[in-house]
Amino acid sequence: MAQFVRNLTEKALALVNTAVAYSKPRLATFWYYAKVELVPPTPAEIPTAIQSLKKIINGAKTSSFKQLTVKEALLNGLVATEVWMWFYIGEIIGKHGIIGYDV
Amino acid sequence: MVSPVQVSLLIKLASYSALFLSMAYGARRYNYLKPWAEEERRIANWKKPKRIASSFWNSKVLDSLLQTSS
Repeated sequence: MAQFVRNLTEKALALVNTAVAYSKPRLATFWYYAKVELVPPTPAEIPTAIQSLKKIINGAKTSSFKQLTVKEALLNGLVATEVWMWFYIGEIIGKHGIIGYDV
Repeated sequence: MVSPVQVSLLIKLASYSALFLSMAYGARRYNYLKPWAEEERRIANWKKPKRIASSFWNSKVLDSLLQTSS
């Protein structure tokens, strides 16, 4: 019995070590990109964001979006879909469940 | 490695605000649905037939009542 427990702890430790060794470089790459791409905007940068929004609304008013190529339009649609998916992820966190409300 | 992209500020602002607003929305809706579901369960259980009546007819009380009359 004691032998079994000792073997189990050794194997578990070895597993944990391999997991850490595997994930460290990948976490490093993730952090390298996240530091630039996923940083939330500081309050000072919000006016710039609102300027971009006004530009988009102006584009919609003057129908200049018809000058976009199909490729650009598809990319914009993809970006909009990603923002919408962030909404669903937040909802999953808020309701503490992945599918459906666990009432 | 590919160098990281400077994501537009509008996209970042929109995604983070969508994240936090939806967390609040999810929590709010969960708190709203919870008592409603409990009420539904209560009503569903109330509609089940009560077993008291059948257990009375099978009990020895009824036998003893019938024997006194015969």
